[in-house]
This record gives sequence, structure tokens and C-alpha cells, in this order.
Amino acid sequence: MISVTSKAALGVLFFISFSAASSRAQTASSRDADTAAIKQTVAGFADTWNSHDAHAVAMRYVEDGDFSSVKGEASHGRKELEDHYTTIFTTFLKNAHTTDTVRSIRFLAPDLASVDIDWLVTDPAAPGGVLRKGLLTWMLSKRNGQWMIVIYHEQSF
Amino acid sequence: MISTRWKMALAVSLLLALSSGVAWAQMASKMDADSAGIKQCVAAWEDAWNRHDAHATAGAYVEDGDFSSTTGVPSHGAKELESHYNEIFTTFLKDAHRTDTVRSIRFLTPEIASVDIDWEMTGAKTRDGKDIAVRKGLLTWVVTKHGAKWMITIYHESAF
Repeated sequence: MISVTSKAALGVLFFISFSAASSRAQTASSRDADTAAIKQTVAGFADTWNSHDAHAVAMRYVEDGDFSSVKGEASHGRKELEDHYTTIFTTFLKNAHTTDTVRSIRFLAPDLASVDIDWLVTDPAAPGGVLRKGLLTWMLSKRNGQWMIVIYHEQSF
Repeated sequence: MISTRWKMALAVSLLLALSSGVAWAQMASKMDADSAGIKQCVAAWEDAWNRHDAHATAGAYVEDGDFSSTTGVPSHGAKELESHYNEIFTTFLKDAHRTDTVRSIRFLTPEIASVDIDWEMTGAKTRDGKDIAVRKGLLTWVVTKHGAKWMITIYHESAF
């Protein structure tokens, strides 16, 4: 017959394994939810970019967000970001359309993720219709439940 | 005359100001030490690269590090990274020499930082063997702190 002590020990063991499994399942499910939310952020960014709304695009960044262009030119903070997007949307990218496809997501912390995005910018007037293609590499941070751009890098090839 | 209560309030305020000043100074000095540690990581990687030592170059990454080339071709993990460096050091970059200059560091947490690095390369060739006078661009890394050491977790590079 199993002693009371052994029964108690068995009970504790069951409880521990149950909580560990349940916390792992929670982590996996919150990771899935974050992955979906990040893809949503990328899609939302492409939508605002395609509507050429400089203010809305800048608002996808955190207040002190960092942007760097294909030539490594930097913009810092919402005001500079909005100015940058106003310039491009009224000049050489005024007829441009972007298609952004998430290639990979690497979580560095529960609220911090690095995201690689295949990037294609088209313009009917460009040779072959393609203006630019390459890779966007973003650092996203979760703020008040919302994933936002902290750092935006882009490369063209 | 100042009352005892006011004197005490003043003493407490001074103490608070002093301790927050000390905490701030400690934080600033820790950040300076980490910035120096990150520059050390960049310099050590550059040195290994210029010696064309594929093992040491890959050794600057964490075990499951991610690399992506100027054309977005990835390598993942120590084994793939070393193979990648072995290949470039024995083919189109076998006579190449690079110079890397840290442009900016942004701490995302005390143990995670994003680093932008201006790079320039001489002696490189195209994959079909033509000389390239100078290649340059921007490296954008995510580095993480392991013990006292900063290592590369994600490496991206662009050429322009």
C-alpha cells in the first residue's frame, strides 16, 4: 500500500508537471498569437504605405523610432520619419506600390522580435514594372499590446 | 529660523537627489562599458575576418546565429556560418580586406543591442572574377551579452 507521504509526493509531482506543461502550452500559444500580430503589423504597414499616408506610416513606429534607407541615410523620431515619408510619397515614389512578405521572425524577448521581410516595390512607369526589390529587416517591440517598429533597415538587390 | 521638520525634509530631498544621481552615474558608466564591449566584439570580428579565419569569424556569433548576405542569402548556426566564411575566404574574397566603423549603438535591453556599422572593402572580386575597386555599405547587427562578452546574434549587411 502507498503511504500518505508517497501519495502527497505523487500529488505534488503531478501538479508540477501539469503546471509546467500548461505554462509551455501558454508560451507556445502566446508566441503563435504574437507571430500572427506581427504579420498583421507588417500587412498594416504595407496598407498605410500604399495609401501614401506619411503620418499613418510614421505612427507605425515608436515615438523615437529609427529608419535607415537603402543608402544608409537615417531618420530618427516621428517628425523626421513623417518628413521622410512625405518627401518620398510626393516625389520618386508617388506612384509606387509595395508588397511585403514576412520571411522569418526571431523573438529576442517576449516583447522584442527581429523580422525579415521580402520586399517588392512596383511602379507602372519603371522598367519591367519593378522599381525596387530586396529585404526589409525590422526590430519590433510590443507596446501596450501593439507591435511597433523600433528600427527599420532596408536593403535593395 | 527653519523648523526641524523643514530641515528633515531638506535632508531627505538631498539624500534622494544624491542617490538618484549615483544610480544614474552607475547606469551611464555601465552603458559606457557595454558600448566598449560591443566595439570590442566588432573589432575582434573584423580582425578574424581580415585574417580570413573562418572558424574565428563564425566564433563571434552565438551558437544559433543568423547571417544574411547583401543579396539576402541566409546562413544559420555555427556550422553553416563557418562553411559560408570558408567559401568566401577561398574564392571571390580571398584577397579582400575590410574596415568596419561603428556608426551607432541602440540598447534594446541591458543585454540586447542593435549596432549599425559602416563597412568598406578593398581587394574584392565579383563571383565571376572581376576586380571591384571598393565595396561599401552598412552592417546592421543584433548583439547579445553572454557573461561579460557581446556576441553576434543576427547579422544583416547591405551594399551601396
